[in-house]
Formats: sequence, C-alpha cells, structure tokens
Amino acid sequence: MHKNILYQYLLLAFVAVAIGAVAWWLIYNPVKTFTTSLPGMDERKTGAVALQKVNIGESFTFFKTCEDIPGTRWPRFRGADFDNISKENIRLIDSWGKTGPEILWKKQLGEGHAAPAVYDGRVYILDYDETSKQDLLRCFSLANGDELWQRGYHVRLKRNHGLSRTIPAVNDKYVVTIGPRCQVMCVNRLSGDLLWGLDLASEYSTEVPFWYTGQCPLIDNDTAVIATGGKSLLIGIDCKTGKKAWETPNPGNWKMSHSSIMPMIFKGKKMYVYCAIGGVCGISAEGADKGKLLWESADFAPAVIAPSPVILDNGLIFITAGYGAGATLIQVKENGGKYSTEINAKYKPLEGLASEQQTPIFHDGYLFGILPKDAGGLREQFACFKASDTRKSVMSSGKTERYGLGPYVLADNKFFILSDEGELTIAKYSTSMFKVLDKAKIIDGQDSWGPIAITGGYLLMRDSKTLVCLDIRAK
Amino acid sequence: MQNRRDFLNLLCRGTILTGLAATTGVLAYRSVKSGNCELGSSCSNCGKSDNCSLTEAVLYRSTVWQLDPAKCIQCGRCATNCVMTPSAVKATHVFAMCGYCDLCGGYLKPDTKNISTAAENQLCPTSAIKRKFVEDPFYQYTIDEPLCIGCAKCVKGCSAFGNGSLQLQVHHDRCKNCNQCAIARDCPADAYSRVPASKPYLLQGIESKPDDKQIG
Repeated sequence: MHKNILYQYLLLAFVAVAIGAVAWWLIYNPVKTFTTSLPGMDERKTGAVALQKVNIGESFTFFKTCEDIPGTRWPRFRGADFDNISKENIRLIDSWGKTGPEILWKKQLGEGHAAPAVYDGRVYILDYDETSKQDLLRCFSLANGDELWQRGYHVRLKRNHGLSRTIPAVNDKYVVTIGPRCQVMCVNRLSGDLLWGLDLASEYSTEVPFWYTGQCPLIDNDTAVIATGGKSLLIGIDCKTGKKAWETPNPGNWKMSHSSIMPMIFKGKKMYVYCAIGGVCGISAEGADKGKLLWESADFAPAVIAPSPVILDNGLIFITAGYGAGATLIQVKENGGKYSTEINAKYKPLEGLASEQQTPIFHDGYLFGILPKDAGGLREQFACFKASDTRKSVMSSGKTERYGLGPYVLADNKFFILSDEGELTIAKYSTSMFKVLDKAKIIDGQDSWGPIAITGGYLLMRDSKTLVCLDIRAK
Repeated sequence: MQNRRDFLNLLCRGTILTGLAATTGVLAYRSVKSGNCELGSSCSNCGKSDNCSLTEAVLYRSTVWQLDPAKCIQCGRCATNCVMTPSAVKATHVFAMCGYCDLCGGYLKPDTKNISTAAENQLCPTSAIKRKFVEDPFYQYTIDEPLCIGCAKCVKGCSAFGNGSLQLQVHHDRCKNCNQCAIARDCPADAYSRVPASKPYLLQGIESKPDDKQIG
C-alpha cells in the first residue's frame, strides 16, 4: 500500500518535472538578446539635402600674364587623344642623372587629387582653397609656375579623402571645369572671364558622388559634354552661350559616377561612352540624332566606378572598377543602324586586369595598368595584358615594384609611373619584361593619385597638397 | 647509553639524510643557476610564475602576445586557432585613420547595391560593426567587442578599399598569454611576437597605448 502511494508520488513528480521541462523548452528563447539588422539603424538622414546657393564664377583675381609656349598641350584628362599617351616627338630622359630630378617649380594646393591640363604654355587646375572655402580655377605659367589668375566661387566642403579631384577641359577658347559639388564653370582660356556656370545638383537633381565629383569634363567642337545623372544622363552645352545644345533622357535614373566620358567611333559612327552608376551607355555624338541613346548595358554596374572606359578595337570596350567589382569587356554590335551589346568577359580582380582608380592604357593591342589591392599576388603591380585576353598577364613589375593607386603615362616609349608615396619610376616600354630605368622620390607623396600630364618635355604631377613641374627633356 | 647497534643505525640514517639534503640543495641550486624548469617553462600552466625567478618566467611576466597589423594577411586563422572561444583576437578600429566613409569597404559587402544597415549588406558575419550617421557625408564605425570573432573580414575589406583603420589585435582582457600561442604557431605571415607588457598593442596610426577615444 505504502509502496503504491510512493510510486504514485514519484510518477506525479516526474510528470510535473517533464511538463515543466517541456514548458521551459517552449518558452526559452536562446536568441532573445539578438537584434535584427534592418535598414535605417545608422540613422541615415533621408529626404532632400538642403542645397547651398552657389554663385559660380563670382570671384576673380588677376596676377600677371605670360608668353605662350605654342604646341605644349595636354588639354584634358588622358591627353589630347584620351589615351594617356604623349605622342610628341621630344626625347625624354632615361634616368634622373647624378643631380637627380630637375624640379622647375612647386605650388602648394588644397588637399585633393585634381590634376592639371595644359594649353600653349598655360597650366589650368581646379583647386579648392580651404581658407576662403572656394573652388578656384588657377592658371599658372608652364615655364616658371607664376600664377596668372584665379577664377572661383564659394562652396562649403568638408575633407572627404581629399577635396578636389577633377581635370579641366581646355581648347583654344574655353576652359570648362566641374567642381567637387557638381558646379560646372566655363571661362575664357586666356583672360579667365566668366562665360557661364551651371549647378548640376540644383538644375539636374544630380546626386554628388561619394568623395565628391571625379568626372572630368569634355569639350567637343566647342560643346561641353557633361554626364549629369539625375534628370538627364548626358547633356551638351554650347560653350559660347551656355545654352543646352542637346540632352539625353535618363529613364533608368542612373547616377553620376567618378568615370569620365570617352568618345568612340564604331563603324563610322561617333559616340560618347559613359559608365554611370547603374550601367554603361553609348550616346550619339554627331548628326541629327546627337544626344540619342544608341545602346546601354546594365550587366556591369558596381556601386562606385572611378576608371573611365577604355576603347579598344572594333567596338570592344574594357571597363573596370574597384571595391571588388573587377572588370568586363563589352562588345558593341551594329545591325541596320540598331546597336546592341554583348558581354565578352566579366571577372573579379583576382582573375585578370582590373583597376580601382586609374584608367589603363591601351597601346598596340596591349593593356597596361596597376592592379588593385584585392588582386592577389599581382596587387599594386604594374602589369600588361593582351587586349584579346585580359585574364592572363604577359608582364608584371614584380613584387618589389608596387605602386598603390598611383597614376602612369606613356611617353617617348617609356612609362612614367608615380607611386602612392611620391616616387616616380621611369620604365622601358615592353610587353614582355618590366625594366626600371630609374626612379626617384620627388615629393612627400601622401596619396599621389592625381593623373600625370606630359607636354613639351615638362611633366606635371602632384601629391595630396603639392603640384610639381619637372623638366624631363633629354639633355 | 646507546648500544653499538643503535649508534650504527643513527649514523646510517644521519648519513642518508645528510646526503639527501645535500643532493636536493645541489639540484635546486643548479636548477636556478642553469635556468631549467621541470615543467618545460610552460609558465601559463605552472601557477607559480608570479614568484619564479627563472629567466623564462621573468620574460613571461614582462611580455605579452600581439600581432603586427602590418604583417597580417587576414587569413582568418585568428578566429579558429585561439584556445579561447570566441577568439581573444578581435577587430579594433583606429578612428584617427578612418575616412568615415558612407561606402565603407570594411562594413559593406563589395557587391552591395543599397548602402544600408540591412544584414544582407554587412560584411561582418556576426554584425559586430555598428554604423552611425555623424554628419553628411560621414559615418562612424565602432566594434561591438563581445560579438567580434576575429575573422578579419572587415580588416581585409578596409585594407583593400580604405585606409586600413580596422586592424586585428590580441585583446589582453581575454588573452591567456599562453607560452606557446596556438595562433602564433600557425600564423602564415609570422605576424605574432611577444611585445613588452608595458606597450601591449601594435596598432598602426597610434604611437602609444590607445585609449577609448582613439579606438572603438
């Protein structure tokens, strides 16, 4: 009898414990301290950003004038032929010599990566003056660095991996600039007189890119060609009047990138090629349909893109971007006046030629470039690839010669390659072997990313705060 | 009065005890003098290292393990090879080097289309990096230490696309300071070394011992 009662109590206790355990198991939440990561947890501000009213070209200071040096021209980003190759018949140095680099002049600049354009002995650079808080188009004498004039406007900027980062476009009459916050300015090349200004953010709802504008403007037949993003994709502005000559709609709401517009002629048709944030497009650059969208491709659309498209042969375009995006080869096709595209290759930085910041050089069927940090063993090396096979390098600078994000240019059969740290290397042009002819530390070199300009035996380069002009003529 | 037998017994015992004492004394003296440790200098297991005068113990007390961010290749072994779970190695953010970018290579996956704090956009597998808006266009990134497992994904992203302000460091409030560090033994970049305990961090961009305002 007692045994039965004890047994029943034990059974009851066991059942109660079992029920309690099951209840606890059901109630207990092992992830109750977890929080779900949802959009907006960074308290990002939404809605329209209050635009500053900018009076473009409001300030002007004249210092002096200078003599022309006819024929000295590096009139825009990547030079006259958009290829970063100087074709002048001037012999350039093979080494820095016993006395080292011959620095003709130096100028202090605002922090940034904006680089100069040169036209007939005058150097143009869009600087940012942190003291007066102005975008300043500064004109210098190429021969001695004397400042000739400044044209600018007040705009508030905060340091964001540098401030300035574009190159003016210059022809015999005009200079066109785009400022960090998308203000376009056109002035008389010689006098600096203001012709017109255009605020893309307020006029075209352009979204200022990360780290400010990187797009360098283009002047084509006295028309300024600008990729706006926002309300339009591309616009053409008459440099003389400032009036809009044509406009390309932007139904996909593509955004402005750091890439610049590159002209291309395919089967006799001239077109502008632009890599926007959203995709790549070809816009008619001539004839009655000027400004018409001829083709587009959204197959390669990274969140940020700095290098410009490299126009290869027969409608093939090489496009690359950093931040893990890699590169792609787009083939443009034409059939009865209709254009289409096809992706020939698409790969990550580990798998072939890619670039984060600088645009590769295409020459004699080969592409040359500095690979990004996420390119494995070839990271930050200067390397060469056949344009027909951009996955396999045929030459590289080796693990002892790495250049970071620095610029490079081809002149007189030599590469001039600037490292992040301000060391300028002269390397023999070759597609099979990298041979350093000489190298020298030129400037302090923090973030020496601004593209190099070479003309008339002068080489212009910069680090984050100093512009330097070197004499590189062979003696 | 002792008899002859007792006297001999006492003499033998005395001789044996004296010999043992002398042997122990000599061994102890030679042990200290030559710097040998009967435990093979495994100081972290000994429990007596605070008072030990052996050279290894003195060195052990005055140095700690640390990894050099300049040598680190972000292989991910710090997360898996440490005897601690989660690892004593964690990401550390040097604010002085950070660009405070909206598009942060250490926070966002490389192919992210929408820049936001949504989980699918984050590079960190445990969501240990917190992102806060500071002012247009800047964002601050801080590490939630208990969540960080030391996988180095953020460090890799930051050094590939940014300033390299995210760096791995051994956190000494968690590190057992093993004499034979399991991570150091397998580190392919040979990035680990023992550093003075008075300067236990090797952060790039900070000269001296970091304080809370400099890192996060």
